[in-house]
Amino acid sequence: MKRSRFPLLATLAVLAFLYLPIAFLVANSFNASRYAANWTGFSTKWYQRLTEREDLTTALGTSLKIATYASLAAMILGTTAAFALHRYRSKFQETHRLLVALPLVLPDILMGMSLLLLFVAAGVDLSLLTVTFAHITFCLSYVALVVSARLDGFDFTVLEAARDLGATPFQTFRKIALPLLAPGILSGGLMAFTLSIDDYVVTYFVKGPGTDTLPTLVYSMIKKSKELPVINALSSIMLLVTFAVVAIAQRLTRRGSAGENL
Amino acid sequence: MTGHLIFENVTRRFGSFTAVSDVTLEIQKGECFSLLGPSGCGKTTLLRMAAGFEKPDSGRILLNGKDITALPPDKRPVNTVFQNYALFPHLTVRQNIAFGPKIAKWSKAETGREVDRMLNLVDLTAHADKKPAQLSGGQKQRVAIARALVNKPEVLLLDEPLAALDLKLRQRLLVELDAIHDEVGITFIYVTHDQGEAMSFSDRIAVMNKGKIVQTGPPAEIYETPRSSFVAAFIGDTNFIDGKIIEGTGQAFSRCEVEGLGIISVDNDQPVKTGDKVYLSLRPEKILLSSLKPSAAPLENIISGKVEDVIYFGSHTRYWVRCGDWRICAEVQHRNFLLDEKPPTWNDEVWLRWHANDAFLLDQYREEDEALLTLPETP
Amino acid sequence: MNRRREWLNTAPSFLWLTVFVVLPVLVIFAIAFRPTLGGGGIGDGWSLDAIRSLWDFSYLELLSRTVWISAAVTGLCLLVSLPVAYAMARMTPVWRARVVLLVIVPFWTNFVIRVFAWQQILHAEGWLADRLRDLGILGENDRLLGNAFAVILVSVYTYLPFGILPLFAAAEKFDFGLLDAARDLGAGALRSITTVFLPGIRQGLMTAMIVIFIPMLGSYIVPDMVGGTDSQMIGNKIAQRNFGDRNLPQAAALSAALTLLVIAPMFLKRKKNEA
Repeated sequence: MKRSRFPLLATLAVLAFLYLPIAFLVANSFNASRYAANWTGFSTKWYQRLTEREDLTTALGTSLKIATYASLAAMILGTTAAFALHRYRSKFQETHRLLVALPLVLPDILMGMSLLLLFVAAGVDLSLLTVTFAHITFCLSYVALVVSARLDGFDFTVLEAARDLGATPFQTFRKIALPLLAPGILSGGLMAFTLSIDDYVVTYFVKGPGTDTLPTLVYSMIKKSKELPVINALSSIMLLVTFAVVAIAQRLTRRGSAGENL
Repeated sequence: MTGHLIFENVTRRFGSFTAVSDVTLEIQKGECFSLLGPSGCGKTTLLRMAAGFEKPDSGRILLNGKDITALPPDKRPVNTVFQNYALFPHLTVRQNIAFGPKIAKWSKAETGREVDRMLNLVDLTAHADKKPAQLSGGQKQRVAIARALVNKPEVLLLDEPLAALDLKLRQRLLVELDAIHDEVGITFIYVTHDQGEAMSFSDRIAVMNKGKIVQTGPPAEIYETPRSSFVAAFIGDTNFIDGKIIEGTGQAFSRCEVEGLGIISVDNDQPVKTGDKVYLSLRPEKILLSSLKPSAAPLENIISGKVEDVIYFGSHTRYWVRCGDWRICAEVQHRNFLLDEKPPTWNDEVWLRWHANDAFLLDQYREEDEALLTLPETP
Repeated sequence: MNRRREWLNTAPSFLWLTVFVVLPVLVIFAIAFRPTLGGGGIGDGWSLDAIRSLWDFSYLELLSRTVWISAAVTGLCLLVSLPVAYAMARMTPVWRARVVLLVIVPFWTNFVIRVFAWQQILHAEGWLADRLRDLGILGENDRLLGNAFAVILVSVYTYLPFGILPLFAAAEKFDFGLLDAARDLGAGALRSITTVFLPGIRQGLMTAMIVIFIPMLGSYIVPDMVGGTDSQMIGNKIAQRNFGDRNLPQAAALSAALTLLVIAPMFLKRKKNEA
């Protein structure tokens, strides 16, 4: 029986489709023209302009700060949540599971809007703190998701084996559980970090006037059609960083899953 | 009591399910002891209580006469070989084996020497720096054994250690385990659902069913003199025959009427009297099968029948023979099997013969145990 | 003792999510029944004004547009993802991992920037529009940007990984021997796909549908950046009422409507799972 070539060709076409806009961005960041429409020659001037924009640097700093706090908090909350969900089988945990899943399906705009109304109703001033709280909320669920998947494939008898070989509960945690689960928790945290950096909608609703994160600043620049080529340059650099992060995450996952089938 | 490891009226419940019910068991020092039973019979729970992973709801566990019931697993001089190996995936073979000594703070030199000795014992010196994921199933099992033994435990607990391996490898590792037991000389407790493993490996076996120990003894005793239909059917195959004692012939033997089969002689393993209803277990290999009528002898039972099913096993052949209302399974070993000789086949008339000694009177019979047989009677 | 341990393990995430997810959603419904104060405030007492204002033909149109664009994007994503998931499942494990990575990487690029890239590609004076005009596919006054077509195209682009990955996860577990069996029993290639493969990956199809359709209902960035006035969705209206008009009760009423819209398919899925 001859197998159809169509699925493979479709895959190649889809991959091309997925990378087309990204390639376009990178190419255009070297376009001397102000307008994306015409290619008028190679130039690195937009990268130069980028270094001159202090507001972008400040916004990047804000984004990194929020992402760091949010992903750290989410790593703690998400990991305890995943442990509880994995370990206990009560009615209470079913509610808990539903709660953890909620931010994963709730559209961003509803999450942003509802948090905004909560803060307004509670009389809390919007600030970077409210943004961080909002980010912790959706990051938590993603960390819980990643760590849960890890726990499902985790052989808990190795913990018994450690106790059997004379390790105290604390030694078992430090020498066995932590090294085995750390890659999962870290890759969950890494995912939370990128999600936090990436977020526009929720941030826009709860950030309050004045301060900007990188996505909200970029968005307003696009809306005002201000220095669009600089955004291309910025995107290309961010792309480079993303590739590096993905590579690190891949290495972490590979090391973590060695010995088990993911 | 004088045993090395003693379970004293131990009971363990999980919710409304009683996994282990009032078990009392004494295991001797240096003994290779098997806990044998179907899945869910409580054997693993009993083992886990010895290791300290489970606490009994009532009863005591003693090691060398000392009560260890409340000791956590890390404080017991007992180590376990887990069913799924439970090797630490982030550590090499050497680091896995050195885990116990490091925790116990042995000196570097002693740890190195003992780990090397263990690697040598299980023949894994060449793989010492591999991670568990790079090993085969049999090699992983050997690491698990070495990792437990290096701590010089008083008792080694083995929880279905060969269950995940294929048949040939299982048989080979069984021989290796036996050699290791001879060399280290410590007490082994071996949990399995495979009667072949238990029979070939252990000094004594405890057969468990539904949380209780139903019979304890050396392998041959368990096989040859099962006290209940469960033991008879779980360990090997057998024919169950029920009848009524009609006449005691002297001290040791009686005559027994079996409805639909005739009158047979039986050995009085149990005290019986005329009128008693009895159940017999008759192993297939005890029955001699021939095409010609054998000559009669005292205490030999001889009946005729027609072959209904034949299954060839290579080393032996099994025949299911219709005798009156009964379907009896007989096994013929091919000791002098000649290809030109025509063995009995379907619908042949054959004669079955067995000595009264070879059928065994059961204390207890339950019909449900018939389901454990390889080929239960067709309706 | 065990109960206390469970509570200690569960409490942090449970309480956090209750305060920052459940409570806010309840607040939406509460504020929808509040009167509006001029200047963006929320008045005291209760009022049905915000809810009543939803009873308007333009909102009905907005709602139906939101649903049909979301449905179209979901359908297109599934259609495109199916052959990809099928092809991936038949690859060797090494290639599977590579393609999964290739699918995920673009999705790790900033969302706003990906949409911005499309904005430039589809630009009226852009290279693509020029070529299409040369070929006569695009009329002189037609535009690629600022309409429902652009919203759907870019949404499909952003949600494609959410279609491919669940379908692939399901297809990976699918026993392809069943397809051979179906062919052996006389089914044609297409028929064996529709009668054996699709039911076999039903769970993946369900998951993909949920994770595309529900977030689509709340779309905001894509219609805002590449859509026009005739392709705005409910999310844009919420943002407009909120930031443009400073009418929080009306924004809340719209959000409440969207919440109900979102919850409906989730309950449908629940019912299905129970059946």
